[in-house]
Formats: sequence, C-alpha cells, structure tokens
Amino acid sequence: MLPVLSLIVLIPLLFSAFAFLTKTREQARVVALMGTLITLILTLYMYFSFDSSSAAMQFEEMASWIPSLGINYHLGVDGVSMPLILLNAIVIPLLILFTWNDVRSASNRFYGLILAMQGAVIGVFISLDFFLFYIFWELTLIPLFFMVNIWGGPNKRHASMKFFIYTHVASLVMLLGIFGLYFAAWDQTGVANMGITHLVSQFPMIGSGIARDAIFLALLFGFLVKLPIVPFHSWLPDAYAEAPTAGSVLFILLKIAGYGIFRVILPMLPATGTPDMMITILGLLGSVSIVYGAFLALSQKDLKRMVAYSSVSHMGFVTLGAAGLVTLSISGAMFQQFSHGLILSIMFMSVGVIQASTGTRIINDLGGLATKMPKLAVIMMLAFMASLGLPGLTGFIAEFMVFTFSYVNVPTFVILALFGVVITAGYHLWAMQRTMFGVYNGKIGEVFDLSNVQTFSMAVIALLVLYFGLNPSPVLDMMITASNEIVSLMAAMGV
Amino acid sequence: MAYENLAFLIPLLPALAFAITFFVGKKTPYGGGLIPIFAIAASFLISLMITIGLLQNPDQVISQSYHWFAIFNLGILIDPLAAVMLTMVAFVSLLIHIYSVGYMSHDPAKSRYFAETSLFTASMLSLVLSDNILQLFISWELVGLCSYLLIGFWYQKPSAASAAKKAFLTTRVGDVMFLAGIIVLFADLFKLVNGSIPDGVYLLRFDEIFSYIPEIAAMNATILGFEVSHLTIITLLFFGGAVGKSGQFPLHVWLPDAMEGPTTVSALIHAATMVTAGVYLVARTFPMFIAAPQSLIIVAYVGAFTALFAATMGLVMNDLKRVLAYSTISQLGYMMLGLGMGAVVGAEAVGVSIFHLISHAFFKALLFLCAGSVIHAVGTHDMRELGGVAKVMPITAATMVAASLALAGFGIPGTSIGSTGFFSKDPIIENAYLFGEHAGNWFPYLFAIVAALLTSLYIFRLLFMTFAGKPRTNYGGHESPASMTVPLSILGILALFFGAIVVEPLNKFVSGTFVNNFVNMDIPALAEVGNYELVHHAGHEPLLIQWMPVIVAIIGLLITFVIYYQKAIDMSRFVSKDNVVYKLLYNRYYQNEIFTRLFAVRFVYEGLAMAGYHIDRFIDGIVNVISYLTIEAGDSFRKIQTGVIQHYSVAVITGVSLLVILIKLVMEVF
Repeated sequence: MLPVLSLIVLIPLLFSAFAFLTKTREQARVVALMGTLITLILTLYMYFSFDSSSAAMQFEEMASWIPSLGINYHLGVDGVSMPLILLNAIVIPLLILFTWNDVRSASNRFYGLILAMQGAVIGVFISLDFFLFYIFWELTLIPLFFMVNIWGGPNKRHASMKFFIYTHVASLVMLLGIFGLYFAAWDQTGVANMGITHLVSQFPMIGSGIARDAIFLALLFGFLVKLPIVPFHSWLPDAYAEAPTAGSVLFILLKIAGYGIFRVILPMLPATGTPDMMITILGLLGSVSIVYGAFLALSQKDLKRMVAYSSVSHMGFVTLGAAGLVTLSISGAMFQQFSHGLILSIMFMSVGVIQASTGTRIINDLGGLATKMPKLAVIMMLAFMASLGLPGLTGFIAEFMVFTFSYVNVPTFVILALFGVVITAGYHLWAMQRTMFGVYNGKIGEVFDLSNVQTFSMAVIALLVLYFGLNPSPVLDMMITASNEIVSLMAAMGV
Repeated sequence: MAYENLAFLIPLLPALAFAITFFVGKKTPYGGGLIPIFAIAASFLISLMITIGLLQNPDQVISQSYHWFAIFNLGILIDPLAAVMLTMVAFVSLLIHIYSVGYMSHDPAKSRYFAETSLFTASMLSLVLSDNILQLFISWELVGLCSYLLIGFWYQKPSAASAAKKAFLTTRVGDVMFLAGIIVLFADLFKLVNGSIPDGVYLLRFDEIFSYIPEIAAMNATILGFEVSHLTIITLLFFGGAVGKSGQFPLHVWLPDAMEGPTTVSALIHAATMVTAGVYLVARTFPMFIAAPQSLIIVAYVGAFTALFAATMGLVMNDLKRVLAYSTISQLGYMMLGLGMGAVVGAEAVGVSIFHLISHAFFKALLFLCAGSVIHAVGTHDMRELGGVAKVMPITAATMVAASLALAGFGIPGTSIGSTGFFSKDPIIENAYLFGEHAGNWFPYLFAIVAALLTSLYIFRLLFMTFAGKPRTNYGGHESPASMTVPLSILGILALFFGAIVVEPLNKFVSGTFVNNFVNMDIPALAEVGNYELVHHAGHEPLLIQWMPVIVAIIGLLITFVIYYQKAIDMSRFVSKDNVVYKLLYNRYYQNEIFTRLFAVRFVYEGLAMAGYHIDRFIDGIVNVISYLTIEAGDSFRKIQTGVIQHYSVAVITGVSLLVILIKLVMEVF
C-alpha cells in the first residue's frame, strides 16, 4: 500500500526545498501550490478511505529507527488527528492562493517556509513516537519565527524572539516530561520504547504519585503555553499581530498543543497523583481564558490584536471540554480546534485585506467599509458570526457541545464561561460596527475590495464553516469514536 | 393527510428563496421580491392545509424526526399550537412581502432586503415547528441574526448600525440564559438516564423532556439559602430568554431602537412574529412551567408590569413608530400575563395567550404597515409634523382606525360583537381578575386594567395627531399603491372580524395542544406538582368587571378626543421640560443612561475590559522582567567564557557528572 502518511509529510518538505531553490516569487508560488495540492489530494484520499467507526490507528507505518533507544519511525492517524490534517491540507493551498498577488511580502523563501510549516505540523499529528513527535514539534518553531522576523510588522524582532523563547522554554519543559516518562517506563519494564501509546499506558505503573504529577505537569505546561491558555498567553498577541497575514493563519493552523492534550494529557490524567486537581486546573484555566480573553479582545483598539485575543478566548473551550471528561465534551473540544482553525483563518485574512487596502488596523480609524468592500463585508460578517457562536456555523456546534457536556462534570466552570458569551458577541459586533458600518471614513482614501483569488480562497473556507456547521458529522463522528477511546483509556487507568 | 409529507417544505422553501435571492436576486423580477413571495405563499398554503386537517383530528399531530449529529435530532412537530403559529407567521410574512414590493421599490439594496426577510421567515417557521429544544434555540438565534441584519439594513446610518448591535447584545443576554437553561436541563436528563442514552432516543425532544417533568421537579438545589426546584431554575432560565426576545422588562430596551430598520421589518419581525418567539417558547414548554413552583407567578408579574410600564412611555413619544414599539412591548406583556394566568386556569391560558398573539400579529402588523404607508407617502414619522393625513390617504386612515379599535379592545361583552383585540385581550384580563379573586393577589389585574386605559390613550392620541385635524407642515403625500393598500385592507378586515368568528374554537384547539399522539400531558396533575390551584371559571364575573376593559378604552378615547381633536385642554403645561413626570417618561426612565452609558460603557468596557487590559500588561510585564533578568544573568555568566580550553573541559566534566548524579537520584525516587 502507498505510504501515504510519509508522503503527506515529505511532499510539503520536498516542495519547500524546491521553493527555496526557485529564483522568483512567480515560480515559488506555483511550486508551493503544486506541493500543497498534491498533499490535499493525498489527504482527501485518506479522509475518504478513513473508517470513522474504528478507534484503531489507520494507515499505520512502522520501521525500526534507533533500536537501542527504542525509537521507531512510527506513523498513524485516528479520529484525533485526521480532522486536523484535513484542516491543514485544505487551508494551506487556499492560503497560498490568498497571497497569490501579494507582492509586498511573498517571495520564494516565504513559500518555502509555508510548505515547511505544513510538513512539520502534519508530522506532529501523525507521529506515534515521542522522539519523532518532538522533532516535528520543534520544527514548527522555525518557519513561524522567520515568518514573523522577516515579514512582520514594526515590532517584529521583539515579537518573534518572545514567541520563540517563550514557547521553546515550554517545549524544553515538555521534553523533560517526556524523558521522565521514558526513563521511568524503561526502568519499569526493562525495555526502551519511545512509543507514545506505550509510554502513556506505562504511566500509571510509576510508583511515586509526586513523580507522576511532575511528569504530567511538565507535559501539560508545554501544551498549555503552546495552546496558549491564560496566564501563559502573552507571547500570542504580539506574535499573531506582528506576523504577516499568512503567518497569522499558520499560527492558527498550529493545533499541535490541543492535539497533545487529547493524545497524551487526557489518557494520563486519571493516573496522576491528584486527578481532581488536574481537572480543576484544566477547567478553571479554560473558563478563565474564555472570559478573560473576551474582555481583553473588547479592550483592544487594533483589529488584529482583537482577533488574536479572541483566539485565546476560543482556545479556552479546548481545555474546558477536555476537563468535561465525557465523550461528547471531549469531541466538542476537538471540534472547536477544527472549527477555530477555519474561522480564524478567514478573520485574519479579512484583517489582512483591510490593512492592505486602508493602511491601518486601528478600529477607530476605519468605518463604513461595507459600502466600498461589499464582498469582504459579507465574508467577514459570516466569519464574525461564526466566531461569536452563531448556530448554523461550526463555532456553535463546538461551543454548545463543550458547554452542555462539560456541565455534567464541571458545572461551576461552565457557568463562569457562560459570562463570556455576551462579551464575545459584544466585541465582535462592536468591531463590525466600527469598521464596516456607519459613514464611510473619507480619511481612509481609495480602497479596493477582495481580488478574485482572495474571494475564492476566503469563500471556500466560509462555505466549509457553513457546511460543517450544518452537518458536523463528517468530521465529528470520527472525533466521537476517538473520544470514546480516550474515555475508555481513562477508565482503564482507573479514576 | 398527504400534506404532512410536505411539512418539511414549510421552512425549506423560504430558505431556498433566501439562497436564490442572495446570489441572483438583482436579476429576478421586482428586485428579488417575487421568488420569496412564491415560496412563502407555498409555505402558507401547506401550513393552512395542515391546520385544516389538524382541526378534524386535533390529537393526531405531525411528528417527524431525523438524526442530526451526536445525540441530537432535527425534527418537525406540528400540533395545534404550532399549526396556528405557522399559518399566522406564513400569512403575515406573505402579506408583508407583497407590501414590501411597493414599499422598498426605490431602495437600491432591495434584493438584500428580500434575501434577509426570506431567511428570517425560514428561521421563524423552523422555530415554530421544532420538535426539540435545541432546534428551537438554533432557529431562535437565527431569527435574532436576521433581526440584527435588518435593523441595520441601512447600515450607513450610524444610528441604525448602533441599534442593530444593541438589539443583538440585549437579546443575547436573554439567549445565554436560555442556553444555560438547556444545559441544566440536559444535565438533569443525563443524570436521570444514568448517563447512557439509548440509540434513537433524543433527550432534548419535547416528548422526552416532558416525560421527565416530575423527576426534574423533585430535584432541588440550594441557591442563597433557598431550596429551589431544578424545574423552577430551568423554566426561569428559559423565561430569561423569552424576556430578551419578547422585549419584557428589563431587557425591552432594544425594541424601540429597533425601529431604525425599514417599517416593514418592524411590522414583520418586531411586532408580529419574532418578538412573539418568547411567548411561543413559554407556551411550547408550558407543561414545564406549570409544574415548576413560582415560575408562572413570575411570568405573570413580569408580563403585567411590562404591559403597564411600556404603555406609560408610549404616551409621550412623538415618533409614530416608537409609539407602536412601546405598544408592542406592552402587548407582549399581556401575552406573558396571559400565560402566567395558567396558575389559575391551566392549559386554557395557552389558548388565550396564543390567541392574543395571533390577534396582535394582525392588528399590530397593520398599525406598522399603516405607519409605513404614511411614512412612505409623506417622508416623516414625527407626529408633530403630520395631522390631517386622513384626507390624502383615506384607505390607510380607515385601516388604521380598524387596527386602533382592535388594539384598544372595543367590543360589547356578552355578545359576539367586537374587534379581534377585544376577544383576545378580554380573557387575559378576566383571568387576571380570577387570579385576584382566587389567590388574593390583585396586582396583575390592576396593572392590566390601567395598561388598558393607557393603551387607549396612546393609540387615539396617535390617531388624532396623525390623521385628524389640519396638516401642521406642508408634507404633500398621496395614497399608497395597490400592492400596499390591499394587504392593509386584508389585515383591517382580520383586525375587525377575525376574533368574533374564531375565538371559541381557536382557544379550545390550542388549549388542547398537550394531549395527542406525541405527548399526553395531564396538566391538572402537573399543576399539583407546581403547587398551583386550578379553578374552573364559568364566566360569572360581575357585569362591571366584564365591562371594565371596554369602559377604560372608551374613557381613553374620550380623553384624547377632548385633548387632541377638540383641543379643549392646553397640554403645554404638562408637555414641558419642567414637568418631572413628563421628563421621566420622555427620557424613558433614563434606561438608556443606565443600561448603555452606565452598565455597558462605564462598567463593562471602561471598568472590566480596561481592568483586563491592565492586568494583561502586568502579566506581559512579568514575562519581560523574566527575560530581562535572564539576559542580565547571561551577561554576568559571559565572564565565564574565558576562551581557555581547560576551563571549558572542567565545566563540561562537572556538568556531565552532575547530570548523571541527578538522573540516578531521579531513578531512585521512581
């Protein structure tokens, strides 16, 4: 059988190299589009032959790599990773189309980095070996760092360094956790094995509760910073806001931290020394992020920073849903990752268009754009409505599931989080009113609406938001199967 | 009954009309108006045929369910309650769409208008025929979206954009309560089925929910030291949603501002249909309310208070549409009061309240459309600039009079002569009297009677100021085209004669909505769960009580006649900035200052959000301090970088040894 998983990582990386080797922007964008389209076709092939009712790893590939250390080249997908791979495979070609005529930033290196990023992110999702996982995990840092550092806004140096160091330190803490788990399991079984599933299953065997907590918290810290969750979020507004539009979208597609929570954190949680405390941490930080992020978004004057904070707020649903600990709350959290990736991509693209067209992102300097940019107004309205959780669009499905099913186990945090809902509606509508509606602000000068490629790429994502909002089952069913498996793993660990 | 197979088309056809009009509306006849009209006409016909079929067999309701996602379904439930609502919504929407062809003919964006009104109609119809609370909530949010889009239809106007936002946010407060109600309800149901839901069972479907009512009522929670039934909590949270949507106090503040949208939108969404969704929600989940201690009483109080409170403000407004907006709030209060009176009359309250809802839909849509006709012709909605309009617009004036008589509730008690509004409002007030007599609590009745007096005052003030006398400015004007006057005349006839014909059968039909093949609720038994004592009322109130609502309406008419027609009383002493009462009313009890300036701007934005902003600066500061300290430390460590190989090797060896010892130690701990 076709080693399709290896291919969807190698093809972006290979085309990334091609893109770096090209001479001009025009060549690079064609190379990039080809690479991502091949990846998309392979991913769609995988998606359509994927068995949603099976919790087993599918398309598995396994080869011995460093036998003495128990490191294997082990790949596979299940319902946790498949939707996220699909998300990346769909949005990135559209992102390349979106930047098709963006002369200001796009160059061959630019496209090379986008492709490298795609390979690295997909790599994280399909690695079933911690060693491989960590390599890809760290690899994602590099394209993003350069993306911000080279093509970022006025404050790009500070933002890129801050992002790099902050999340890198967190990754190192996570690495310590991985080592702790690895050595402890080695000690326990006498066999070296870096396999993720293996190590997670060995976790309860570790004798000391404190050691289990320490390992768990180290891993959790790595994921929470990357997600990010309040109070570890302060790298995000700078990085998201300073990044070029494509960079912000890549940040949004970087769903590896949430993935880690489902893959590693949840199955281990019941076996920690103090599971109740861990649940409280997840739930509390989740609902605090939702509310706090919403208030912060409300206080922003820069449209892009507002969107960045809305992302913090949305990520709260991932940990809140995880803390719910029932199949459907976990599926809701997974769906939130998928939904958020689509919605925020359009929102960042909209902000990018506004900035390119008007030269500003300051909300109060805008106004009345809908008259001049009707196409943008429609798509942006849809994205904003999806982001504030309007039914019929993906955001609602995720939020409704997280709220409803988490309430069964963590009612207090759900009630707390519900206060964020009105504020969330508030900042979205407020921003919409100030930028798109009202009298056209003459000081802006001449503006232009979306180009055809921009309309195409944004409209496709918008239609997906609508489609999966009306019919979430095509991705939700596999998430439910996977969540069921996680819940039974947790049960096996014994709460 | 072959029509039941077409039931799914009722919301689907307008939804398709939306999609077509949205993309290619500009190229279709009447700027996109024709396709929605045909779609809604079809929906209306199907609804009507289903209703006629259901009238033969009221206990054989239409119920269809389809799996949607996870453990949720989409479905159709057309019982008597839904059937009459569907027919009314489709009918009023159809008339207003026809009227809009004329009204919006000069607007360049009319295809967007028709797309959005079609989407609204689809969502509203879906709301009405939902067989589960989730689908109802979803449609509830979608009608809210359409309301937002249509209030802000002329988005270039800052006041319209601002009103749209205010409407969305205020109702959102209610929506969150509604959502919280669903969440708590689900958690309780989940507990009652022990966490395992059999395949094909949809817990949020009304039949499932209703079957667990006694169990949920038995669950108690302690809130602030009070033992409260879970059912009371859930129903009050639902009611919170209804308060937002149906403009009840204190979440009514958005509705007057919503008049920034086109007048047809005010008629369709903010008078006849969407704002009644809250009333419909309470009616739909009535078996829960009647089993929930205190809930119905609170519904009654809020309704009665709103009816009065809004009417006082309606008295002093000078804008045609704003008077009508306050009137709508007030009438919605009556509907809520009507439902709350279920505390004494049981399921009959649903029939009474829904009948007032239907009757109000006719006469209030008519009032708005008449106002629209005037505004369309003369270009102003300030009553002080009007006067004498009856001469130039006789049809509009005649239908307006019909609608006003219905709103004020003119009729002869004890006979079958009376306007539709008389037959719908009177039973509510009578039930309130019964409640007073029975429970010894006269507030709902008093509020309702005083509100009836004020209703008559504000509507005849409007009528006299606008249509009678001589023009106060030179506004020109002409009668509106047939596409506008025909819907007016149809509604006018309904406002006058509909009630007398259908009141008895319709009340009975809708009141029986909880006994059929879908659910079979024993309302009196549930009332015992909720501690309500039901009484059989035989209509034996004293004659004076029967006549009271009509008497106050006549008094109102006479007073306004003397003041605004004969001008026998000088109102300038009252209508001045020095009069405290007038100032209070005119400034709408300073609600805007309290809600918008004080709460939204000062507290939420300048208080909480800005506090968050500074906290975040602080958190960011900590991160920066840590990085600064690290750099400083790095600088001092730089001195170690001597460039001498020996130093480095010593450092490496020490480091490695320390690491090995550390790992060993860690292993020991494990």
